[in-house]
Amino acid sequence: MPPQQGSARMRQRTVLLVGIAVLLAALVLAVVLASLLTHGRHEVSPQMLKWKDRGTTKNLQEVILGRCYNYITAQHPELGDKDCQKIWESLKDAFIYKNPCNITPEDYQPLMELASHPIPCNKSLFWSKTGDLVHRYTKSNQNFLTLEDTLLGYMADRISWCGDPSAPGINYESCPKRSECESNPGSVFWKMASKMFAEAACGVVQVMLNGSVEAGAFRSSSIFGSIEIFNLDPDKVSKVHIWLMQDIGGPQSECCSGHSIQRLISILEERNFNIICEDNYRPVQLLQCVHNPDHTDCRLCTNST
Amino acid sequence: KWKGEGTTQNLESIVIGRCYNYIRIVNPAVGEKNCSQIWEAFKNAFINKDPCNILPKDYELFINLTLHTIPPNKSLFWENNQLLVNSFADRGRRYMSLGDTLFGFIGDFLNWCGQADSHGLDYESCPTTLECENNAVESFWRMASITYAQHSSGVIQVLLNGSAEGGSYPQPGFFADYEIPNLHKGKISQIFIWVVDDLEGPDLESCGIQSVKTLETRLKTLGYDVTCTDNNK
Repeated sequence: MPPQQGSARMRQRTVLLVGIAVLLAALVLAVVLASLLTHGRHEVSPQMLKWKDRGTTKNLQEVILGRCYNYITAQHPELGDKDCQKIWESLKDAFIYKNPCNITPEDYQPLMELASHPIPCNKSLFWSKTGDLVHRYTKSNQNFLTLEDTLLGYMADRISWCGDPSAPGINYESCPKRSECESNPGSVFWKMASKMFAEAACGVVQVMLNGSVEAGAFRSSSIFGSIEIFNLDPDKVSKVHIWLMQDIGGPQSECCSGHSIQRLISILEERNFNIICEDNYRPVQLLQCVHNPDHTDCRLCTNST
Repeated sequence: KWKGEGTTQNLESIVIGRCYNYIRIVNPAVGEKNCSQIWEAFKNAFINKDPCNILPKDYELFINLTLHTIPPNKSLFWENNQLLVNSFADRGRRYMSLGDTLFGFIGDFLNWCGQADSHGLDYESCPTTLECENNAVESFWRMASITYAQHSSGVIQVLLNGSAEGGSYPQPGFFADYEIPNLHKGKISQIFIWVVDDLEGPDLESCGIQSVKTLETRLKTLGYDVTCTDNNK
């Protein structure tokens, strides 16, 4: 073969080889990049803040929407004009993409306005350290409403949520505990909702407290003691009825004459409220007796009087 | 058109929301479920069909997708006393009634029906059971009751209302027609019947007489170890 054609062919071959090598390199690079990007999307973004409490509840949107529709459709048709989609959007906007230690009451203002509704007089039931019992009671006696029986409380009960400045804006891994920062989405929500619930109360209001707690039935640090009693309106609320419940067969740490109750009574009297305290309010005690039917406190009279 | 209430508004959001509410919060022990798929299976049981021709087996896929274990000794059957059952069962923690299972939880207190030749839900009206038995809601509860009975085991509780007019043990009734025939005798150790009167209600029936006696006899003939008590404390 003439040397000129040979070197041309050699050049062609080299170009071809180089071209293939470049193509291969590009392919490998593309695969590596693709796997890195998709892998990154499934993992927590490395920039998301890490906290000590459980993260946002999975499927938060479906749960909130479902609860909202369940409440206004199946349980309280008089609230039929509520827009659940808008309510969800306003909740999401309150915390998404925000630093979860920087939440303010203003963030929740649109949600509070959209979801609040009037509470009938004489039905408000406050509680502290009696969460289980009080909700069993309202489930069986619809004459009383706790915050968790209102639309706002019903949607948010036992759920957690918080945001993060980096995408996707919601942190499903962890959320701040109160001890890490007070202005977190959950704490701010419940403080605001509790304040509004107290402001809306009228007529006779009830509060269920726990007389078997060592630290005292009434505590100034609780939401009831720090927010709700100070937001009751003396012009609307005629009386406060305290139900002081002790565990069946449990410690009788406090009763109506106890120290913390006396303190509560004096705070309320100073604000011009009428107060009654009742030890072991019978209707609620009967519910406690479902779990302890043989205890002496649970025996019913067999002879009619 | 029909005599009964129409489909509950926002049914899809409620069903999907209840499904996630159950698996995330009420009873996360049941594990991961695909709630969108569950809604589709539920809907396809009755959509685009004659609303008087829906059968329990039309819900088979729905049941398969929502099925989970019912812990032994926790089954609680009942007739005519739903509010009492809810307090007694304590949201599935003491007992797990049908309404505390995922499939029961989804359907409780809701109403629904479709129409022939249309993919839409009928929001105007739905047939009552008097108008036609094989309607969407009736067949749902029949299927759910059958399934609940089939998966019950250990000690079984039955809560009856001693003040109910028409008898504490209604026949026909869900317990009589769909639950008892589907109990698996080999899995059940004992049956406790509780006859509870309404407070200040009449004491119309008790153990050993009338319809309760019919029930006791039936279960004993089937070979079950049966105990009956009046007015649970």
